[in-house]
Amino acid sequence: MPSTHVDLALEGMTCATCAGRIEGALATVPGVTATVNFATERASIDIDGVTDATDLIAAITKVGYGARVIDRDERETEPPVDPVLTARVVVSLGLAVPVLLVSMFPELQFDGFQWLAAALTTPVVTWAAWPFHRAAIRNARHGATTMDTLVSLGVAVAYLWSMYALFFTMAGVIGMRMEMPLFGYAPHALYFESAAVVTAFVLLGRLLETRSKRSARESLTALLNTAAKSAVLLVDGREVSVPAGAVQTGDVVVVLPGGIVPADGTVIEGASAIDASAVTGESVPVPVGPGSKLIGGTVNAGGRLVIRATAVGAETELARLTRMVEEAQAGKAPIQKLVDRISRVFVPLVVALAIGGGILWFSATLDVTRSISVAVTTLVIACPCALGLATPMALLAGTGRGARSGIIIRGTDVLESTRRVTTIILDKTGTLTSGHPTVVDVAVDGVSPDTVVSSAARVEMGTDHPLARAVVAEATTRELMAETAKDVTVEPGRGVTGSLGSLRVRAGSLEWLVESGTAVPSALAVAASTWVAAGRSIVAVAHDDRLVGIIAVSDVVKPSAIEAIRALTKLGIRPIMASGDARAVADLVAREVGIAEVHAPFSPSDKRDLVARLRSEGHVVAMVGDGINDAAALAEADLGIAMGHGTDVAIESSDIVVVSRDLRRVSDAIRLARATLGTIRGNLVWAFGYNALAIPIALAGLMGPAIAGIAMALSSVFVVANSARLSAFRTS
Amino acid sequence: MSTTDFGVTGLTCNHCVMTVSRAAALVPGVTGVSIDLVANGQSTLHVESDTVVDTAALEKAIDDAGYELVH
Repeated sequence: MPSTHVDLALEGMTCATCAGRIEGALATVPGVTATVNFATERASIDIDGVTDATDLIAAITKVGYGARVIDRDERETEPPVDPVLTARVVVSLGLAVPVLLVSMFPELQFDGFQWLAAALTTPVVTWAAWPFHRAAIRNARHGATTMDTLVSLGVAVAYLWSMYALFFTMAGVIGMRMEMPLFGYAPHALYFESAAVVTAFVLLGRLLETRSKRSARESLTALLNTAAKSAVLLVDGREVSVPAGAVQTGDVVVVLPGGIVPADGTVIEGASAIDASAVTGESVPVPVGPGSKLIGGTVNAGGRLVIRATAVGAETELARLTRMVEEAQAGKAPIQKLVDRISRVFVPLVVALAIGGGILWFSATLDVTRSISVAVTTLVIACPCALGLATPMALLAGTGRGARSGIIIRGTDVLESTRRVTTIILDKTGTLTSGHPTVVDVAVDGVSPDTVVSSAARVEMGTDHPLARAVVAEATTRELMAETAKDVTVEPGRGVTGSLGSLRVRAGSLEWLVESGTAVPSALAVAASTWVAAGRSIVAVAHDDRLVGIIAVSDVVKPSAIEAIRALTKLGIRPIMASGDARAVADLVAREVGIAEVHAPFSPSDKRDLVARLRSEGHVVAMVGDGINDAAALAEADLGIAMGHGTDVAIESSDIVVVSRDLRRVSDAIRLARATLGTIRGNLVWAFGYNALAIPIALAGLMGPAIAGIAMALSSVFVVANSARLSAFRTS
Repeated sequence: MSTTDFGVTGLTCNHCVMTVSRAAALVPGVTGVSIDLVANGQSTLHVESDTVVDTAALEKAIDDAGYELVH
């Protein structure tokens, strides 16, 4: 059957329940597997069979929502962010360019050019610049001044002064030619081009900023995958598949191999292993049997389980963790934008200088027009044209560079925290280690290690236990795999027995073999106790009634971890490890990667409390993690970094996502974010700098109209060129 | 294995969907349940079963849950 993939853009969703409804509607279409993302308003659908998109859209329309197909081009090239913003940018740029040309070059000036400039500038400073005026008025009500105030003020003053000059001075006379002296009093000076170009550039900056934010969100969307939403209820011995939400406390539920446990519960029947790494941070899947308690959201890594639900919905452990994340996020104050912080000081200062300068001029000369002109030119020159580009250009270059190396930076606020980070807390499982159990050592008695691994693998081949899988993987690497053993029987949670020819092979826990009377050679007993102390898991192997070897299985440190910790230390950041695993396991890993401070075993709330405590002591804390158990700490931290392939909650709670599993990308991410912030600061210094340098000239009454143009050009070119340097950033 | 569709009225939100799914799941012979919600209108209940569903039992189950099966 043909298999296809369709992406739909959805309309009309108001809450997560709506997403569930649409998912339900799509699931009823034959051959369809669909996931709906509420945040991005997208449905991702796999179709097996002949159903086409119209059937899907019909199913969605039927439940009261709108949908349309997104084609490949649209997915790859961004759809216009905000049509109105785009229109404002296009119109203001289109009108500002002729105004600029005609104002700057006397050769291009014709009779009445100043009236045309006025006509072209009017829609720019009114309609296009409206968002700035609106924000400035809103700020003024609270006595605040932001970048919007600066832009609105600069644009309004330049425009109104020029209009006044046009109507009430000689500047409006047809046939007037505007000269562009660098210095000196120009009585006919008009500043239409300043008003128009500042508006156009700042708007362009806004557009670039939304785009970079959106592309970061898009990359994020690709990472998020929604967990299965259905459950299998056991009713009078029948299995009935229902939406996961229909499960109630006390229900008996079947969890199939590979399935997600739909609610917190207790195992009634069956034996398996539960991969809880995403929820609890324990690296090795835990064997479970009747009586074991399960947490909803964990994955059944072994055989079929029958469980009784003990908590559903808001009462589950998972819901509790999610609430914790929400609380932590709500407590996090947004960082005020750098440019707004500068504006808060800069704007009142400039206004004071302009008024003071005007008053001084008036008291010295008693010339009203000249004095107002001084005040106005001061205000006009102070509004930096490149101001609007300073942040977005650097952000665009920085996030673009990051995306190429799988580093997703979620917005400007993040950059500030990366600069100040003093301490980094790293989760162990999946962050410092690979997260998959691997054979790390083999001890033998009387036979070769290969024989031990091979015979264990051949009896364990059919079992899906994670330790068994590690052994089989090792045998495959050593090229020892042969045909499976005969007469294999499994004793859940204990081990496996099988026949290789006349030899009876058993592989499983050491306790199990000892209980059945197997003698343990002293060398192997010593090795076993050392390994257990070091936090390794053991697979013991017996041939007939003789213990021939033991295999150590452990989660291994990522090759990149040691180098990454060194790189972080070099950045002046103190690494700390926090793990859900036992102390011995955590210590072993910490020693290997070179971390001195270890906290284990740590529950999700312990991790969050550690972050909170360090922050209250004045440290700026970054947290690196990938599981749901890390989510609260990620949200609480000044800087949350989620490692890729992490859980949705972890990714949602973080500020930076590192897609690769390579830990070195974490230090790269911090370096890149710092470099981006440095570039933004440099941009702002020069955006403000060129104009600030011109303020004394304006106050001296010597500013010619050309100064405004030159300051505009220099700062813009600088900002663009300086930002482009970020593309050359090197990862380690 | 076959799927039978029924109209159900009285559903307003996802909670109703859960309640009705559950009620239908408990009817003998049913192996799978899903619902297309039409809030305040006629929603569609898809019932999977190995044998023919006992419509009377289903109707009673839905009725007991506080909703109505439409013929």
